[in-house]
Amino acid sequence: MKLTIKSWTGVATWRWIANDENCGICRMSFESTCPECSLPGDDCPLVWGVCSHCFHMHCIVKWLNLQTMNKQCPMCRQSWKFNIH
Amino acid sequence: MSLTPKSVDFNEIWPNLRSTAEAVITLGNVNRSDWSTRFSDVYTLCVAHPEPYADRLYNETKQFLENHVQNMLATRVAPGPCSTSSVNGEPDLLQRYYDAWTEYSQGVKYLDNLYSYLNQQHIKKQKISDAEVVYGNLSSDTMEQMEIGELGLDIWHIYMIKNLSDDLVKHILEDIKADRCGSPEITPNRVKVINGVVHSFVQVRGYKRTGQLKLYQELVEFPLVMASADYYDNEAAKLLKTCTVSQYMEEVIKILEEETKRAKKFLHATSMWRLRKQCEDRFVNRRLDFIYSECKDMVSQEKRKDLRNMYKILKPIADNLKSQLIHTFLDHIKNEGLETISTLSGENIHIQFVENMLKVHQKFHELIADVFENDSLFLSALDKACASIINRRPGDRQPCRSAEYVAKYCDTLLKKSKTTEAEIDQKLTNNITIFKYIEDKDVYQKFYSRLLAKRLIHEQSQSMDAEEAMINRLKQACGYEFTNKLHRMFTDISLSVDLNNKFNNHLKQENIDLGINLSIKVLQAGAWPLGPTQVVIPFAVPQEFEKSIRMFEAFYHKSFNGRKLTWLHHMCHGELKLGYLKKTYIVTMQTYQMAMLLLFESCDSLTCKDIQSTLQLNSETFQKHLQSLLESKLLNASSESLEGNTKIELNFDYSNKRTKFKITSAMQKETQQEQIEHTISAVDEDRKLYLQAAIVRIMKSRKVLKHNALIQEILSQSRVSFTPSISMIKKCIESLIDKQYIERTPNSGDEYSYVA
Repeated sequence: MKLTIKSWTGVATWRWIANDENCGICRMSFESTCPECSLPGDDCPLVWGVCSHCFHMHCIVKWLNLQTMNKQCPMCRQSWKFNIH
Repeated sequence: MSLTPKSVDFNEIWPNLRSTAEAVITLGNVNRSDWSTRFSDVYTLCVAHPEPYADRLYNETKQFLENHVQNMLATRVAPGPCSTSSVNGEPDLLQRYYDAWTEYSQGVKYLDNLYSYLNQQHIKKQKISDAEVVYGNLSSDTMEQMEIGELGLDIWHIYMIKNLSDDLVKHILEDIKADRCGSPEITPNRVKVINGVVHSFVQVRGYKRTGQLKLYQELVEFPLVMASADYYDNEAAKLLKTCTVSQYMEEVIKILEEETKRAKKFLHATSMWRLRKQCEDRFVNRRLDFIYSECKDMVSQEKRKDLRNMYKILKPIADNLKSQLIHTFLDHIKNEGLETISTLSGENIHIQFVENMLKVHQKFHELIADVFENDSLFLSALDKACASIINRRPGDRQPCRSAEYVAKYCDTLLKKSKTTEAEIDQKLTNNITIFKYIEDKDVYQKFYSRLLAKRLIHEQSQSMDAEEAMINRLKQACGYEFTNKLHRMFTDISLSVDLNNKFNNHLKQENIDLGINLSIKVLQAGAWPLGPTQVVIPFAVPQEFEKSIRMFEAFYHKSFNGRKLTWLHHMCHGELKLGYLKKTYIVTMQTYQMAMLLLFESCDSLTCKDIQSTLQLNSETFQKHLQSLLESKLLNASSESLEGNTKIELNFDYSNKRTKFKITSAMQKETQQEQIEHTISAVDEDRKLYLQAAIVRIMKSRKVLKHNALIQEILSQSRVSFTPSISMIKKCIESLIDKQYIERTPNSGDEYSYVA
């Protein structure tokens, strides 16, 4: 072996992979935050439903709290269940 | 003795009472039984049957006191044969008056006690109440009976003081003048006499509800203040002829102190400030031109003693009169500050800048404490001066670089060095002092966050505690908004540490050996100032890495759902062990450089074209990094220009004294100027957005607003982080009108309204 890698310090950034550009509730981009937050990322996370639709967590929670009867996904009207992997 | 009213003969009782009263008022000997008998006599007369004699008793007593005082004046006090001044140890007028007053005032007090029944039962009842005094329109000369003690004092005023006041006051003024000249005649005993005489004018009016001091003020204070003013004027004129400014000020301070003491010694306490004010007026206010004549030199040479004296004498006078001293002082600080920072040059200009400014600040801060008693006027002058030095632009077109220097200074301190932690902490605290003066705090923030990112990613921080303490200081100075991105960066780093631990555990559990000591930092895209190079450069990851990276990505996706990692290879670095040379070297370098070297594992020479196409790098990145490897002599090129078929070979003759070293990364060679310009243009962009957001916010709440009012609002909102130029605000307003957020109101040219 002429050359061996002893160690490596990698730097990476992360962003959300959502199936859409914008949050269907607040229409803000997933790259940025919901209207209430100021800093994107861990502070304003995204959540996925079983129906595979994705929203800012703050937005969907607010939406679900407004629904009195059956909690539905605002995009496809299927009943909303959080997709927990 | 019976208490029932009975019929008595006034003429029988009065002579006895009168003789006792005489003994009392002259402080003669009155035995106890006499006193008691007379005391009840007063009672008997007041309750006599069928007609009480109270009024008659009062009138007779008044007559008696009048006679007594007139007699005293004629025989004991008045300028008799032996003139008014003291000759041959004979007591002079003041002394005689003082003796008589001491006796009389005491006597009257006793007499008042003797007549206490009359006072309590007869006179108090007729007295007008407080309410009548305040609300009624009583003329002051109503014939009103006074308590005997008061009556005595009033009679003294009418028959004694009115007759003698001119002479008495003349003597008092003469004696005070003599005291000023330091005459030996003014012995402590003499002081007591004068003080007693002066106070008699107050005491004689002491029973009055209002205007107790009026007599004293008319008789003594006013003439004295007038006379003193002339005296001070003369003295001041005399001093001006012979003294320099600094001697003059010393003299004035001495005189002021003496006059204060003198006022305490001779006069009623209320006169002290009046006399002092007069003294200040004559010596200071009217001689300001003279005092200020050398002000400039004193300040510029920092003659502390003179300045301290000057402050002392200027302190009591009105603020606007002090302004000359303050302005001179401010200019002096400014000059000195500008001088120390104008000569800076060289590599560590930022260190010099901050430390020189600190020296100036500390020096004058100390001087203000020492000389100006920490006067807030001077402290604010220091603030003004510092702010103007620090925010001064070297030229119209050139930006002010202070924010950059201060941020870099922090960077130097927080980077690994030999300085102790306590020292760093101290220096950072001082640094905040300078930071607070910076107007362009947002520029500072940009530089600071960029430098912090570098320190965190490349692990250059001396200590995380110091980093955090610094961020907390900034938070204290500018608020949460200012530092939340910095905090976020911090959190990312600590999260990454956890993540690496978890990843390593995971590898252990799965029994995977990557062969590489892997350490990954995962950053949140929005929070880090990663600069223009955030655009991902295409790069074929060498297979040596690929497995590790794939493993990590898989692990990451399992732990965090819905997230995508983007590798920033220009920020990654690693250690490569070179085993093909005489000695073994361990070299730290960037990923791109590693990738290039790794290609030589299987061969000793490659063409540029081969390298570039294998790694799929764009030519700019390729050239830059290959160049740095060539410069480090690890590789040799067949020709100067790196064209497609230029041969690159391993340098087998390479040797270095150190076995562990670092190849300067191509990124760091990016010219400083470029970085600064980039930062400044980024700040400009941010400011525009900030201003536009502010305008929309303001307009949304106000609906309609005049141009000037809007500008004021914006300025007050943005003050925390920067001071925008008016032209920038105007541009932002224009662009918002274009975007139809706001519009000009149709009837007025300088008014805007919000478009919903």
